[in-house]
Amino acid sequence: MKQTRFEQRNNPLSSAVPENTEGTHDRPKKIVIIGNPNVGKSVLFNNLTNNYVTVSNYPGTSVEVTSGFADIKGERFEVIDTPGMYSLTPITEEERVGRKILIQGRPDIVLHVVDAKNLERMLAFTLQLIEAGLPVILVLNIMDEAQKEGIKIDFTLLEKLVAVPVVGTISTTKKGMDILKERIVGYAIRKKS
Amino acid sequence: MQFEKNHDGPIEHSLEIALEKIEGLLYDKYPLSRRAVGLLLLQEDHEIHEMVKESQPTIIDHIEKIISGVKAHYAYPIEYEIALRRRDEVERIINRVVKVAKEEAQGIAEKVSALMMNPIAGFPLLFLILYFGLYKFVGVFGAGTVVGYIEETYDSHLNPLLVKIFSSFIPWRIVQDLLVGEYGILTLGLRYAVALILPIVTFFFLVFSVIEDTGYLPRLAMLIDRTFKKIGLSGRAVIPMVLGFGCATMATLVTRTLPTKRERLIATMLLALAVPCSAQLGVILALLGGHPKAMVLWAGIIMMVFLFIGFLTAKVLPGERPSFYIEIPPLRMPHLGNIFTKTYVRVKWYFMEILPLFLLASVLIWLGKLTRLFDFLIFLFTKPVTMIGLPKEAAKAFLFGFFRRDYGAAGLYDLHKNGLLTGDQLLVACVALTLFLPCIAQFLMNLRQRGWKTGVGISLFTLFISFAIAFMVNLALNKLGISL
Repeated sequence: MKQTRFEQRNNPLSSAVPENTEGTHDRPKKIVIIGNPNVGKSVLFNNLTNNYVTVSNYPGTSVEVTSGFADIKGERFEVIDTPGMYSLTPITEEERVGRKILIQGRPDIVLHVVDAKNLERMLAFTLQLIEAGLPVILVLNIMDEAQKEGIKIDFTLLEKLVAVPVVGTISTTKKGMDILKERIVGYAIRKKS
Repeated sequence: MQFEKNHDGPIEHSLEIALEKIEGLLYDKYPLSRRAVGLLLLQEDHEIHEMVKESQPTIIDHIEKIISGVKAHYAYPIEYEIALRRRDEVERIINRVVKVAKEEAQGIAEKVSALMMNPIAGFPLLFLILYFGLYKFVGVFGAGTVVGYIEETYDSHLNPLLVKIFSSFIPWRIVQDLLVGEYGILTLGLRYAVALILPIVTFFFLVFSVIEDTGYLPRLAMLIDRTFKKIGLSGRAVIPMVLGFGCATMATLVTRTLPTKRERLIATMLLALAVPCSAQLGVILALLGGHPKAMVLWAGIIMMVFLFIGFLTAKVLPGERPSFYIEIPPLRMPHLGNIFTKTYVRVKWYFMEILPLFLLASVLIWLGKLTRLFDFLIFLFTKPVTMIGLPKEAAKAFLFGFFRRDYGAAGLYDLHKNGLLTGDQLLVACVALTLFLPCIAQFLMNLRQRGWKTGVGISLFTLFISFAIAFMVNLALNKLGISL
């Protein structure tokens, strides 16, 4: 493959890994978890990786990016948890870190975790991610509290309108994790073909 | 996102056309879609601009021209226009997908939430939280009772044992001093870190985690935003400032969450100058405990200095006023497991950050005493100390205040116990000491976070301000003939 200027230069936003399609199936597929603070990203991360990390959105701890490995249906994935992020246009240093991971890392799957109760406030970011051509799965977390507040979400219609997979979860009780894992594997296969 | 070309008139037209033009110029090797890159360019995202400039240097001028052309069409920043369109799009989807069955469930929580953000109810509530959470629990119980007990145990059992062991093994007096002397690494540095700072910080983080878990912090940020805007900060600075009451060193580390360099600088300086940490608060409150009038005056003066210096810096430092909007999450009952995990992780993190600094401080004190540098510095301090109306013995308290702010306060406490200070002098001394140079740990942190020039600059500035204010307070008390 012809190397472009973009890849040769030491640009902070260009990927460290060149777009080498032959090499990709050797390294584990990369999952990046993003979303606002307080939506349960870290718990979801723990559920996927079975590694202990802190449940916190506090600047001092979550600016350090956590990563681990997940084995889903016999396939190995690298999972990266990012600091809280509100949009693709970063304001704080931490959001800048988050965006770099998103852009530089060339993730195979982006899990956008949102609070199902506040879908309205968070969906704009989802749309931004989809528009950017990133391989997004939308995860509606904290479904239990949403249900308690009487919020009903039409998943099938939402999936059709945004044209990416949508999964509902309750990360604290691991509800919905099976379906999420299925979608991750399915999405990874679909992307390959 | 699509900008409707025909429905919303000519302005709409130009944004979509510009985007299409830019998209046409970009190649498809970017890690984001061309449309996303184009939109970020239109929002004048610096990093993306640099990325395109690097990858396609020939087209960047053309793109810049297109963007400035579009900007002329709009009264608001393009970023705002784009956000508006996106919101409309979200609304269209939400209206079709989300149904809310009943709404009465949030009644009480909503009301409490509104009260927290309302200035009339919010500030008294804040005062109550600070009084019980910070003063009573962290200050009186944590820094007083618990630390008193631990330090006593340390002093009466562990320290004599350490001294005995090391004195018998190491014949050299100098090395003995370094390890187990009056200011030794084990007897002072480690003791402070373990017996004093660790319990205080644990108590503080416990309170902080509870407050954070309930969702109070974003509401406090909203409440205080307007006041903070006046001093060049925004509601976002609430977290570093609240943390400053626990430990200003840690708070300085956390200023990195502030978006602009200007805000980070202002926050760092105010933390160094006018936010007393919990260790220091404990001793100062004990000192002024018997003089309620002096305590009220002290709090008033420190608050005024905080606001006044903040206001002045905001005027002097160039830069834009910060903008601030924040997500307000629902109020929740704090989760006990969560709180313990958070507290544990933070205490661990903090302790690892801070322990080396304390050990280093011990070594520096040892060096200072060995080289007689300290005697010289105490001599230098004597003049300004007597100028603000204090006995010259206080000079030593000030020098040690730099190595640990509360240690300086403790030095004053000894003077006070021996009846060497009047009420007036007590007030002046407490004001000077609160505003005085940050402790050495914070000083080292300032250097690390803001660079050595700024770090040293901030220290000199606080040194000057603390004595200037104390001088004025002393003068005012004398002229008005007030004796506390």
